[in-house]
Parts: sequence; C-alpha cells; structure tokens
Amino acid sequence: MLTGNNCSFNVVCVIVRQRNQLTTAISHAIRVAQLQEKDEVGPDQLLLGCLLALARFGIVKLGPWIIDLEALGVEWLRVDWLGEGKSEGPKVAYSTTAVALLDRTALIARHDDSAELGLEHMLVAFAGEDIGLMGDLKRKIGFESAAWRAAAAQLKEANVTKAEAALAEDAHVGQGPRDYLSPEQAAEELGIHVQTLRTYVRSGKLPAFRLAGERSIRIRRADLHKVLEPLASEKTTAQRRE
Amino acid sequence: MAMFVVKRTLPGITPEALQSAGLRAKTCCSQMCDEGESIRWIRSFFLPATEQTHCYFDAASKEAVEEANARARIPFSEILEVVELTPDGV
Repeated sequence: MLTGNNCSFNVVCVIVRQRNQLTTAISHAIRVAQLQEKDEVGPDQLLLGCLLALARFGIVKLGPWIIDLEALGVEWLRVDWLGEGKSEGPKVAYSTTAVALLDRTALIARHDDSAELGLEHMLVAFAGEDIGLMGDLKRKIGFESAAWRAAAAQLKEANVTKAEAALAEDAHVGQGPRDYLSPEQAAEELGIHVQTLRTYVRSGKLPAFRLAGERSIRIRRADLHKVLEPLASEKTTAQRRE
Repeated sequence: MAMFVVKRTLPGITPEALQSAGLRAKTCCSQMCDEGESIRWIRSFFLPATEQTHCYFDAASKEAVEEANARARIPFSEILEVVELTPDGV
C-alpha cells in the first residue's frame, strides 16, 4: 500500500475563487458515508475525504508517502463518478466526533493566521489521532504526528505556489476574457449563486460541457445570455396598456 | 423559495466553533441541493452581547431549514419565516 518516496508533494491544483479543497474533501466524505450506507459522517470518512481530494487515480502523494486508496478499501472511481449535482444513499449528518474535529480544524486555521479553513488544517487536526483510520495509517506507515504535520505544511506551500500561478494566468495579460468558464466563474459573471447556475445547467437552460474524462464542467461565455430574458421596456408596457 | 431565520443562543461559543458551524451548514446545504432540495445559507449575524446567532436561509420550506441544521448538528431555538426589506426595495 505504501512505499517510500522522496518526490516533492504534487497536488491537484487549487485555483483561487474556485471550490475550496476542504469543501471538496467534505463532499467526498459525505459520498463515502453514503456508499458505506452510514447516516453519519465521522472522522474516518473525513480523513478519506481529505485523501480523495488529494488523490489522482486513487493514489495520494503526501510528503514522502504514496497512499493507495484501493488498499484502504475505497472505491475511489465510484466516489468520483457520483459527480457534481448527484447524490444517492442515505441522508447524512455530522457525527459529534466529526464536529469536534472540525472545531479543532478551525482552531488550527486560526493559529495559522488563515481566514479560511483549508485541507491542510484538517490534516493537521488528525495528527494526534491514534484510533480509527488515522491510527491504522500511523501503524502501517510508521509515522509520527510531527511528520504528518510537516507533510500538511508542505501541502499548503504547494497550494500557495499553484494559487499564485493561477492568479498570474487569470491576469491573462492582453488576451481578453476567457472563452470557457468554470461554474463558479460563470455564476460570478451573471451575479447569481453557483447552485442557481448548476440548476440552469441541469434543466438544460444553460449548455455546459464536461472536460474529457473528468467531473468538471465548463460553460461557454457566449452561452451565458441564454438564461437572460429581456424585460419589457416602459414604453412597450405603456403601449400595451393603450 | 422563502427566507427563514434560525435563532439560537450559543453560550461560550468561540469564533472557531462558529466558523466550524458555518462550514457544516454550508456543506449540508450543498449536499441537500445535490439531493434535489432547494436550500441556501445566506448569512449569519452573531450578537456578542446576548451570545445569540441569527442565521438566514433561502429554502423551499421550514422543514428543509430544520433538516439542514440537524444534519450540521447546530442547535437552534426556533425557525421563523422572514420578510426581507432592503433600501433598494423601499
């Protein structure tokens, strides 16, 4: 399941203003709980959610370790395939231990002078756990709390670098606006909530395209006007009254 | 969609616990939307003098707001429908 590896941490890109990685992790955690037919999300599901948010093809590269999610019994492909805007399984609530873990995550973020809770903060919140999935990982990999926290810190540094790169790309000097937008960017352009935008996509009001082989969707800027309806002008309304 | 206010008193609540509760509310609403429910957490106000919190939701029903808060494990004292007034609307 785990092998030593000196490669630097490589994480799926986090782009500023796009969905927070922690939110993605929690969304995965809920799906894992549903697949496990559980009605509560606990620490084990949250940890799996974090790992799924970091994984590519079911493999997580974290610090010096490579973690195979399949070896942990995670049907990573099935979790991914549920995709955005879909849900199946029981209704899921947070367990009291999950609440305590999220409270600790917020405390760690505060100590990190971060206004936003990040995935790295939740990973650090797990560092002291010796039971459940985290305990299993510690025993199988043989790491201590300090090594785990160091790997989480490295994750944040990688994210900052990628976020800066994304911002630079976003500046798009001299190239005009993008032709294709993420749901968040499209919602921002229209001044609506992203959930409203997703509703338009699901109902077919707004065409969208799925990136080949991925869950993410893109919306063509040129299609945004399709959800806009012209208001009758005052003159037209007055004419109708006549 | 209607707007609802969730009123709660949270004695001794810390800023971190409030942030954690916000994250839970947001993710639970998102999950319920994925299940086909219409609900959105709009914003919350914390009143330090009374340790009360007023959280505003757009939702199809009061029951949906109740369920989102139950799933997020955030205690509340009551949920009331709200009529919104803004400077632009008067």
